[in-house]
Amino acid sequence: MQINGHLMQNKNNSHQQDCVTEDGKISSSDLANIEVLKRSEMDIRVPEIPAGIINTLKSRKKHMCVKKDGTNSIPSCNEASVPGMVTQRSCVYGGARVVLMPITDAIHLVHGPLGCASCTWDIRGTRSSGSELYRNGFSTDLQERDIVFGGEKKLLETIIELNQIFEPAAIFVYATCVVGLIGDDLKMVCIEAGKITGSRVIPVQSEGFRSVNKSLGHQLACDALLDHLIGTEPPQNKGNANRKGLEDQQNTDHSLNILGEFNVAGDFWAIKPLLEKIGVSIQAVVTGDSTVEEIAQANLAQLNLVQCQKSSRYLADAMEELYNIPQIRVNFFGVEETSASLRAIAKFFNDPQMMETVEKIIKSGTEGVEESIIPYHQRLSGKKVAVYVGGNKAWSLIRAFEELGMEVLLTGTQNGLPEDYQRIKETVRDGTLVVDDANAMELARLLGKYKPDLMVSGAKEKYLSLKMGVAFCDFNHDRISAFAGFEGFLNFAREVDRAVSSPVWNHSPKIKAPAKPEILTAKSIENNQKGGD
Amino acid sequence: MYTAQTKNNNDSFHDKSGCDKKSEPLHQKKFAVVNPCRMCQPMGAVQALLGIEGAMPLIHGSQGCSTYMRFQLCRHFREPINVSSTSLSEGTVVYGGEENLIKALETIKIQYNPTLIGVTSSCLTETIGDDVEGIIKKFRESYLKNHGEEFPPIVSISTPSYSGSHVEGYDKTINSLLRNLTLPPESEEKHDVINIIPGNLSPADVEEVKEIIKLMELNSIILTDTSESLNAPLTGSVEFLPSGGTTLDEIRQAANSKITLTLSKHADSGGELLNKRFGVPHTILPLPVGLENTDRFIETLSSLKFIETIPSILERDRGRLLDGMVDSQTYTHGRRVAIYGDPDLVSGLVSFVVELGMEPSIIATGTKSNQFQEDINKITKKTSQEPVVINGGDLYDLHQQVKKTGADLLMGNSYGGRIAVAENIPLFRVGFPIYDRVGAQRICILGYKGGLSLLDQLTNTIIQHYYDESGYELLN
Repeated sequence: MQINGHLMQNKNNSHQQDCVTEDGKISSSDLANIEVLKRSEMDIRVPEIPAGIINTLKSRKKHMCVKKDGTNSIPSCNEASVPGMVTQRSCVYGGARVVLMPITDAIHLVHGPLGCASCTWDIRGTRSSGSELYRNGFSTDLQERDIVFGGEKKLLETIIELNQIFEPAAIFVYATCVVGLIGDDLKMVCIEAGKITGSRVIPVQSEGFRSVNKSLGHQLACDALLDHLIGTEPPQNKGNANRKGLEDQQNTDHSLNILGEFNVAGDFWAIKPLLEKIGVSIQAVVTGDSTVEEIAQANLAQLNLVQCQKSSRYLADAMEELYNIPQIRVNFFGVEETSASLRAIAKFFNDPQMMETVEKIIKSGTEGVEESIIPYHQRLSGKKVAVYVGGNKAWSLIRAFEELGMEVLLTGTQNGLPEDYQRIKETVRDGTLVVDDANAMELARLLGKYKPDLMVSGAKEKYLSLKMGVAFCDFNHDRISAFAGFEGFLNFAREVDRAVSSPVWNHSPKIKAPAKPEILTAKSIENNQKGGD
Repeated sequence: MYTAQTKNNNDSFHDKSGCDKKSEPLHQKKFAVVNPCRMCQPMGAVQALLGIEGAMPLIHGSQGCSTYMRFQLCRHFREPINVSSTSLSEGTVVYGGEENLIKALETIKIQYNPTLIGVTSSCLTETIGDDVEGIIKKFRESYLKNHGEEFPPIVSISTPSYSGSHVEGYDKTINSLLRNLTLPPESEEKHDVINIIPGNLSPADVEEVKEIIKLMELNSIILTDTSESLNAPLTGSVEFLPSGGTTLDEIRQAANSKITLTLSKHADSGGELLNKRFGVPHTILPLPVGLENTDRFIETLSSLKFIETIPSILERDRGRLLDGMVDSQTYTHGRRVAIYGDPDLVSGLVSFVVELGMEPSIIATGTKSNQFQEDINKITKKTSQEPVVINGGDLYDLHQQVKKTGADLLMGNSYGGRIAVAENIPLFRVGFPIYDRVGAQRICILGYKGGLSLLDQLTNTIIQHYYDESGYELLN
């Protein structure tokens, strides 16, 4: 089975073989319509994307749709993947782990067979300014006898041992599939271990099979924070080294948390100076470059900024209910979104001085970007992007691409919920293709058929895209620079430009032998040289 | 003895929580695994299946298993990797995984039409007690009845993640392929073919083994051959099933071969099976890393050909390796090295570094094995210092030991990077996974040619770290 991609199509000008519509044909007018997707601000033309988006299983068709005014424009989602498909989704444990793992001074102990830990430790490019403890891979390494007799004793002993060696600020204990089956009482063991060690030992009920995708894992992780950490006092025998005294906070009436910001590649560090300049203090980032005690005091903040809604809206809602902390949605990708987010914060605090500072920052930030962005804009304008990601990036990056003059042809997520697709629908323009839980073959067909200039996705999709000759940017774990804020937008533009404008895409994957080999003679060489001059 | 002139990384792996401060006492741990040095059985199974042309691995378990394994494989090989999953979730777990398994098999047939489906179990399905063999048998029968044609071959491999490691998973898969697919020999007369079970090697290493066999003018069946599928050229199109690799027909014909040569001692059960069941002679060799091990491999091959003269190209390559060893010896001799990874790879590397006069100070593997201990004892019998052997440990143990015993150099996968930074010693990347450098699929260490490329890069790593730009050794 083979699907042809970008390079070959471009170079050979061959017809699309594998990418057929439902009725089995692609008309030239369909292709022409896709071409006119390039739009200018003045003249928005809505392309007719063929009704049959790509060839796939019948049960999968409702998971793809084209955004159009007046229609539902939301694909079927949050359903189980078809077994046997090469799904891009992961498990509940994976979902819980991405939310909690950036807590830097904690041990993240995976209770289960070793594989769950050994495939997932230190895989997220989330950065720390302090402890590096969170980057280690901890496992109880359950063996056959533990499966038969239960793993509770081993878990307890492991927690005590790890606490002694590493003296962590907390130990998060993650349940994996098999733990749910053998019936280990995680909560009970954690309570007992907490008593013995005097440490925070926090159970996360993230048995991998508990749901069809990892969204439940996000929620269970938030539950662990709500039930066992936020608003709690530190254990008595622990120092208060990382606990901020309220009196230390310079600006207690302007304090906030950022939820769903994981400091991947240092994104938070790009946002932090902006927030500090406008005079707010950051209580906790949940979770990125954050300590256990910072999060324990997150209930003291006056506002929650919600960055990744996918993972953290649940937490924001709960904190609103429990602690009366209001929330606003923010997005620091792109100049427009960054500016809007800063204004929203100032508006919330209703502080004229802050509003003034915000405008100043926006002005200098925008000016700083404007000139530097021109060459990128020139090269990238009109280029088409496909976005297929795990979380909020399916909509939060769209404006940023548009600011570069690029257009998002296709967007989708592996595990979006109806509210995620609602947000996508609000953000994308008409004619954008929206896909849910696309598997590897569908992605290849989409790339082969719609031929974007850039694919934006994670590590598993990277080489599929590159092999098809479609430039690729990783916006997940593997990216290397911070994209948030004004300066981050320049990094973003540079990264996108590096991918799209690279000369490697100009080379043909095949050697083109001339139909009739030309025999070089002294004369022909002479002629060639003359021609060259 | 050697100074640290590279970047100062005091703060990077050192931790307030006491993890890695040099002044801290060494902790002996009994229960926890910290920074694993092995993966689980299904990972090894998947790696073996990716070497079969047109085969689709199917993990019977949660989605996370296939997704995280694909993630690791993709970032190491820098290739698109397809591994499907039966996507078990809460409801399906309660009633057993049969329905999902059958649905998955049907979907794979429709979507991918593979030559073979390799079903690996997981801790989840082993614990709920799915009878995978039984389900498959029933499914094949009903498929034949309903469709009037045979379903593609399915091989099931029992790979509970709570026992053994990817090393066993790999071995079991080769065994299972041969047990289920290999036909009895056609006649007493053996084909002029040898079976090679290379073990879980890099694609470039498998290719090197194939090259050597070609130079020896022998025909071979490689079980299994990842050299094409995991090191694929860019063609502008994408493959969903391994292209190239061992064909099903080759596996079926394996009992007609003259002999089976197993190059990894921990992947020997397939060769044993062919021997017991069909009388195919079986020889187990150490991984051909370095001069002596490669000599043994070539000698064995030449004995099969009944020739005494070695092809001149191999003689030349051997001479070049020896030449390189002599050129490098001032840099390598006495240099203390800590080596970690899979048992056969580590044994091979230790054998080579001992030939170079290096001193293996710590030798570690995540997969506990008596065979490994025996091999290491034999290889290091003559070294001046007795190495510390960590048999079945993790990278935390390794790090503690490096602090205690000391090493000038680390050899192993990318996960050792943080130890290298913390101790300010270089890391020579070899093994799996390597995700922080390009070219992992092209790392070749086998044979004379691979040995030379290993030697040059290893020596240059030492020079880069311990010598100045004029070539003088840095002093304290």
